[in-house]
Amino acid sequence: MRDLAELAIAELSASGVGYGDARVETRMVESLAFRKLRLEEAALSTSEGVGVRALVDGCWGFASSTGLEAASVRSAVERAVKIARSGASVMKGSVVLAGLPPQTGSYESPCRIDPFTVDRHEKIGLLAECSEVMNASPGIGMTWAQMHLERFDKVFASTEGTMVSSRITHSQPFLTAYALHEGDAQSRSLQTLARAAGWEWIEESRLPETAERIREEALLKVRAVEGPSGVMDLVLDGHNLSLTMHESVGHPTESDRALGWEANMAGRTFVKLSDQGSLRYGSDIVNFIADNTMPAGLASWGWDDDGVPCQKWHTVRNGIFQEFGSVRETALLIGRESSRGCCRAQDFGHFPINRQPNFYLEPCREPMTPEELIAGVKTGIYIEGRGSFSIDQNRVNFQFGGDMFWEIRDGRRTRPLKKVLYGSHTTEFWGSCDGIADERFFQAMGLLTCGKGEPAQSARMTHGASPARFRNITVGGGVR
Amino acid sequence: MTREEMLDFVQEVLGRVSVPDAVADLSEERSAFVRFGQERITQNMDTFRRALRLWVGDGCRKAEYVSHRIEGKAIPSIVKAAEDLLHTASEDPEYMPPAEGGQAYPVIDAYDEATALAEPGPRMSAAAGAMEAARRSGAEAAGLTGMYRETTAMATSTGNLCFHDATEAVFTMTVHAGGGSSYRSLVSTRWSGMPVDSSIEEVVEEALADSEPDDFPGGEMDLVLEPQAVADLVPYLLWSMNARTSDEGITVFAGREGREVTGGNFTLSSRLGGPVPGRPFDSDGLACADQVWIDGGVLRTLQCDRFWARKTGRPAVPGPGCYSVDGGEGTADDLVARTPRCLRIRRFWYIRFVDQKSLELTGMTRDGVFLCENGTCRPVRDFRWNWKPLELFSRIEALGASERKGFVSAPPMLLRRVKV
Repeated sequence: MRDLAELAIAELSASGVGYGDARVETRMVESLAFRKLRLEEAALSTSEGVGVRALVDGCWGFASSTGLEAASVRSAVERAVKIARSGASVMKGSVVLAGLPPQTGSYESPCRIDPFTVDRHEKIGLLAECSEVMNASPGIGMTWAQMHLERFDKVFASTEGTMVSSRITHSQPFLTAYALHEGDAQSRSLQTLARAAGWEWIEESRLPETAERIREEALLKVRAVEGPSGVMDLVLDGHNLSLTMHESVGHPTESDRALGWEANMAGRTFVKLSDQGSLRYGSDIVNFIADNTMPAGLASWGWDDDGVPCQKWHTVRNGIFQEFGSVRETALLIGRESSRGCCRAQDFGHFPINRQPNFYLEPCREPMTPEELIAGVKTGIYIEGRGSFSIDQNRVNFQFGGDMFWEIRDGRRTRPLKKVLYGSHTTEFWGSCDGIADERFFQAMGLLTCGKGEPAQSARMTHGASPARFRNITVGGGVR
Repeated sequence: MTREEMLDFVQEVLGRVSVPDAVADLSEERSAFVRFGQERITQNMDTFRRALRLWVGDGCRKAEYVSHRIEGKAIPSIVKAAEDLLHTASEDPEYMPPAEGGQAYPVIDAYDEATALAEPGPRMSAAAGAMEAARRSGAEAAGLTGMYRETTAMATSTGNLCFHDATEAVFTMTVHAGGGSSYRSLVSTRWSGMPVDSSIEEVVEEALADSEPDDFPGGEMDLVLEPQAVADLVPYLLWSMNARTSDEGITVFAGREGREVTGGNFTLSSRLGGPVPGRPFDSDGLACADQVWIDGGVLRTLQCDRFWARKTGRPAVPGPGCYSVDGGEGTADDLVARTPRCLRIRRFWYIRFVDQKSLELTGMTRDGVFLCENGTCRPVRDFRWNWKPLELFSRIEALGASERKGFVSAPPMLLRRVKV
């Protein structure tokens, strides 16, 4: 792979481009899925290829090819340079990359047990056991037990002298059970999702025990009364908050949105360039820390697809927005001297774009339990996990559901509920946060399928939080 | 690869398989797009991907292997990988062999040579033209333009051999002006079939007309949905229109085949040779056919895989990848003129299920909402909604002429008395 990357750089340099880089990748994905008691999917996918960027007179050209032969690398270089030149001939290019010293090295994500060496009978047996557990009740109408195991090796090289490589392993178990009762269907799912880890993450997830809990909670949920409407306090667990922060903090603080580059598809953002360092995003206790160096994080790759080292920084500090996540192309445009390393592509066949980093809501530094947060609520709801989610294209008006709901009365969690929605506006919502549990209760969620860009591509990142309390939130779909 | 080379390759792969059942599916995808925003080309791409999917089965177990290594000498290792995977699979109580031999595949005109061979010039010029038109009006444009080609050759161990070649030209554009915006999506088999220049001018004018939107009082109102807004809702019906999940009680269509699910003037169908070209075959080699899903408000057909078809006595119905909502005549403007007061909605954004069982959705409006009263329309702010599309489509007062929006052809609709 390194030889092919060197070949691509030699060809790019010989063609006289202002800048060029190449990503040579191989990838293996194993997918297993039980639908109820039947193995519905047993698939293995391997891919390999190269993606090449060329910058000519400030205009990008990107081309990719499958295959790891010298001919496909040369073809990709030739096409990338050709379309970059064609672009530069039609309109003046304006791409200026923030500076970056040449990078060298290699990175390997944590993987204690290689998931591709685990006997497939063991994998299938584990999912079959989970399926049997979930289907043990006649009240369960449908279940899924799934496993996604993925490894990609990548070499990134640039005409500026960078040559780095990474080996990344991601593992994701997933369970969901649908309970049926009197014409209604309600589901409950495993919410932790993916982690940068090997088979050990599947083992740590204790899937058969989780399957039993999911089954019982789905049965509880489908028989529960529907949630109320009105303004009330919420205590949200880390899994629910992971999606809420992804949509209302992660996307609005991507620099390409602030620059209008996503206006046609994913949308723009209410956060302005001039808001860096001054916009009140949340209450004083709200701190969002971006961290592409956290070992278990799905966006921790060693270097991003610009070749920029992964970093850690505050997105929001003491409630105040600090800075956008950036790539080399946007850094100078947003007033920064260097990129934050948020440039990632789905794979070699996609142009890398500005993506969310791993980030999380910092837990309370003093001891604080979820029960103490609930104790401070007279009337409200405790929500676990993610459910329905929707937000406007400027990332202001949102509505979220959840996976499990519990009524709070006079400071105590009482009965289960179903069909609960909460809605708010981004800065009002985070401004209403008045309590966060400590790090003992931290829950992470790894997302493999964050969609963005045109043509659409997916990205992966990890979020997390300890349960947190929010005051006076509209519940029941009333925020227009 | 040529058509002959692709067909030879999949047959050679099948020839190496040692188990009774197999499907070899070789696909090539080329996409060449220019993306633009904020007065600059932000992406300029020409990508190529070739992959082989090999499905193998021994009569009671099955497995699937995908590889990007497409060369004759790699075939033995690809087949071995697939068969190794098969040997570790558990028995499948719903095992089905590939589609029965003798499938008659429809011939679908979905390919345009000029689009397939398109050079970068026209797409760069279209992007530059969009940005220039917006700039002249003090507005800002962002969008995507280019082409996509997908070629598929498939062989099944039951004797089916099929090939399909399709092109798609795309131009989408959003213009922001003041506090307003507008959007247009053009898709055609042929680049020459897209009215790019006239659409650019229209979108700029619409965005300027959307500047400075006001609040508006909610309540029960007539709605005029533009074709894009209708097309945005249709996929959520389609995802629920599955025979098996309906029989299992998961979807809103459970027990409703042959019964009224919308108003009588809503018809949803698939016409393979219609305005959105369909696929001639599915991933098992089963031939696709024209379908009527909802006929004058009555649920007629649900997608159904071959196992569930055998179990329930229904015909197997694959999804053909093309959908059409019947329309009438005229434009959204004509529909607005038929009501003294309505909200006109250009498109929806971020639609998600609120409740899958009742097919309740939430979403936002985007890129143009207008309060139209007695012939005058003024822009109003985007808003969140929680609606059930089957209820919306039970309130259709009038339909305009359908337009292609992605894989759905949809008309503008006038809906009576919707709670906003």
